[in-house]
Amino acid sequence: MSRHETTAPGDAKLLQGTLDMLILKVAALRPIHGYAMVQRIQQISKDALHIRQGSLYPALYRLENRGWLKSEWKTTEDGREAKYYSLTKAGRQQLDAETAGWKRLCEAIALVLETGE
Amino acid sequence: MRWDSWFKRRHWEGQMDAEFRFHLESQINDYVTQGLGREAAESRARREFGALELAKDECRDQRPVEWLGQIFRDASYACRSLRKNPGFAAAAVVTLALGIGANTAIFSVVHSVLLKPLPYSQPDEIYSIEVVIPERRSQFASLPVTVQAYLEWRKAETAFAEMSALRPWECSLTGDGEPERLGGARVSANFFSLLGVPIARGRGFSVEEEQPGNERVVVISDALWRRRYGADPALIGKSINVNGESHLVVGIAPPSLPVPTGTLLHPFLAFAPRIDLWKPIAVTQRELKNENWDHGLLVRLRAGENPEHGRQQLQAILNALIRAHMPGIKTELIAQLVPIREIYAGKVRLRLLLILAASALLLLTACVNIANLFLARMASRAGEFATRIALGAGRARILSHTLTETTLLAMLGGGLGAVIAKYGAGLLATYGPDDVRLLAGTPLNLPVFLFAMSASLATGIVCGIFPAWQAYRKDAATGLQEGARTAFGGGRAARFRQVLVGVEIALGTVLLASAGLLLHSFVKVMRADRGYQVERVLAVDLSLFGQGYSRGETRIAFYRELAGNVRALPGILGAGAISDLPASGTSGASQTIFHATDTNFQNMVLARPVAMVRSVTTGYFAASGSALRAGRFFTDPEQVLVAVVSESLANCLWPGEAPAAVVGRTLRGGNVTGPLITVCGVVEDVRPGAVDRELLALMYRPHDQWASGPMTLVVRTAQEPAALAPAVRAEIRKMDPNLPIPAIRTMREIVSSSVAQRRFQMMLTSLFAFVALLLGAVGVYGVVSYSVACRTRDIGLRIALGAASSDVVRWVLSHGMRPVLIGILAGLCGTIAAAKALRSLLFGIAPGDPVSLVAVTLVLLLTSGLACYLPARRAARLDPMISLRHG
Repeated sequence: MSRHETTAPGDAKLLQGTLDMLILKVAALRPIHGYAMVQRIQQISKDALHIRQGSLYPALYRLENRGWLKSEWKTTEDGREAKYYSLTKAGRQQLDAETAGWKRLCEAIALVLETGE
Repeated sequence: MRWDSWFKRRHWEGQMDAEFRFHLESQINDYVTQGLGREAAESRARREFGALELAKDECRDQRPVEWLGQIFRDASYACRSLRKNPGFAAAAVVTLALGIGANTAIFSVVHSVLLKPLPYSQPDEIYSIEVVIPERRSQFASLPVTVQAYLEWRKAETAFAEMSALRPWECSLTGDGEPERLGGARVSANFFSLLGVPIARGRGFSVEEEQPGNERVVVISDALWRRRYGADPALIGKSINVNGESHLVVGIAPPSLPVPTGTLLHPFLAFAPRIDLWKPIAVTQRELKNENWDHGLLVRLRAGENPEHGRQQLQAILNALIRAHMPGIKTELIAQLVPIREIYAGKVRLRLLLILAASALLLLTACVNIANLFLARMASRAGEFATRIALGAGRARILSHTLTETTLLAMLGGGLGAVIAKYGAGLLATYGPDDVRLLAGTPLNLPVFLFAMSASLATGIVCGIFPAWQAYRKDAATGLQEGARTAFGGGRAARFRQVLVGVEIALGTVLLASAGLLLHSFVKVMRADRGYQVERVLAVDLSLFGQGYSRGETRIAFYRELAGNVRALPGILGAGAISDLPASGTSGASQTIFHATDTNFQNMVLARPVAMVRSVTTGYFAASGSALRAGRFFTDPEQVLVAVVSESLANCLWPGEAPAAVVGRTLRGGNVTGPLITVCGVVEDVRPGAVDRELLALMYRPHDQWASGPMTLVVRTAQEPAALAPAVRAEIRKMDPNLPIPAIRTMREIVSSSVAQRRFQMMLTSLFAFVALLLGAVGVYGVVSYSVACRTRDIGLRIALGAASSDVVRWVLSHGMRPVLIGILAGLCGTIAAAKALRSLLFGIAPGDPVSLVAVTLVLLLTSGLACYLPARRAARLDPMISLRHG
């Protein structure tokens, strides 16, 4: 998916649905707001994944709309109001399914690459 | 949108804004913490965030809403997107408004003339009756009925509940104000009750008023009552002077009551274009002696009866009547029922439907044009679309966005179009031919409104479906890779736009070629040799009535003297009078013409030709400009009974003989016992003003031997005829100040009004074709300009490499004209197929008329060539340096 496409310095293009998976993963740990989500993904991926910030929110709204995320307004540590997203039960199932699918895909690709050598 | 949902939306928007604000502030704070200045931090945060409004739009798209809200959201999105492009939106709305407006206006006419029930009670039960004489079919497709047949039918018990005869009645209204010539009708007493329309004021006729001596009563039209009598209710019960006799006004007809006018009821019954007076038919013994096929007949079927059954009953009675009268006659007459709707619609149906088809083609052209504009605009928004798809907006959403946008445009166009239609239908009703004008009523009623609505909806969908489909197919990733410029402008999409231009040109070609064929026919009709002069001729209808003219001799003397006086006026080349102008067609008296040697009427009556009899004064032929083929015209006075016959009559009577051999022969009119008449001359055939009917077999008689009622004075002038009309009028006034003188018309006007239908058709089709041509040119221009803009770098490179500007022009032209040429070719093929439907409207040319088609092709080539040339010239003037750097 392209423009939020997440380009790693090594030019790895992420497949469609990857951003959704990342969001679900990050939100699975604890309730988190959008800005922190961006920071977190960059931090975890050691700055390899860079998310176009403007593209994050439509994805968040879509996932919430599908019932995989829920949101509530809470006060942050520095006393500001922010919208925190957390995973729903359906979201957790989705994340599990996507993670499993992703792993299968990676294994398949690795298999192809190894056989090819 | 309801208020609570509006508040909900405000709340939702506020939350979204707050969330975005939080995000930006957090980012800015972080950068400030990292040591950036406040301003630098802000700008960096914003830059990294990307297009804020776009992101918000995308979020709005994700908002869960009910179906209706979805439409509202799409609509508000469409509004925003159109507001960003007001020029585009205005052009599209105006184009569509013209298309939808034209269609709605035409449909409102089609609706009122062809579809809306006639304002009679149970109009489906009303029929008109005609008689067909099989042996005469080649000359007369059908005839009106005789008064004898009408009376016999009315006496019998049949499937018809009511019958009413009607025939034209020319009226001169005098005594209370300016003398006036009016159209009237003689009708059976039950005329109004047959139609099932109540008299507005007063009463209709009673059966007693059909008795000779009691018939001097009239019902007058609402229009005449208001215009001449100031809507005075006391008029009922008063007497007015019609044709020199006092008539009691018994009632006022309901306003805007459609009744058969002109030759709607039958070509041989020439009613006036408006009927203002009705008077009962009282059949006299004298009328019963003559058998004239000169009555129209309306009948009402009994409820539940089968019309075919009734028709057979009438036919049996008719043939029994003929047998009783003429036992030896060998023919089976056919009674024919014509539904009353056909009376009004029959002759205009094909024309109106073709005009509707033409306007539909125009709307389709407009749709294709808008679709093309949309594609062009999508090209410039390619990035946005690709982003939306990539964001997972869903292809269905993109499709619905585009469709909403085009539908919104079409609805705006439809609204404006309704206004155009309101005025357009008014214009059509005012300037249309009589039979359209008669029924074309209030334009904006429910069916017309529904038509406009569905036309708008259909337009929106047709406009949007191609661009939406393109957007739908578009692969997001390639869209982003290709970049904004070429995503929708290059490759497959560009070809698609070219196809649309081809379609547009093809539709325009069909319209333009149809218009060309109609125009060429019209020119042929106007130029056709009618057998009488059209230019520099005046005509005025006169009707002598009252005590002073009761004797035939005084009437004969009047016209003789009048013609002589007018001829003496300066600037006048000739003057004479005739009972029925040749331009007006088939009305007037007719007779079966017998050879002098015929003795058995019953054996010969169906074998001999029927001729229209025209009474003319000396000087008529000189005034009308008819050419003599042999013999001589009338002199004054004639010693024996003489006639001048038309070539076609001479040919029917004495087939194969030269005109010169016919002169001096004798014939009898009406019956084998009639007096012998000598043919003194043969004159060229005349055609009615509209030309497209059969030649008329005519027998002219001198006015003093065959005195007719009303006459038309024909005056030939040396110069522009209208200038002499006042002098002619003064001359008539001088002879009789009480004579009503209707408008003095030029023959050109008379001929021109007799081709009103043809002109109407030709003008509207030409107008539509012209607009389609403009739209086509805009389409070609748009596509070529765009492709030039896309290839600026390419062209710059060619110029830099030494291509001459003429090479560039040729290159652009050859690219731009390809879809045009294919479109023209397809359009011409379509026209030749469509011309089959047009065939009956053409005159003097074949459906594949090379003159029209070549002319149309040239016009199309020139116009689209120009539309291509303008961008081509711009391309040729490109500065290679600039275009290479920025292209």
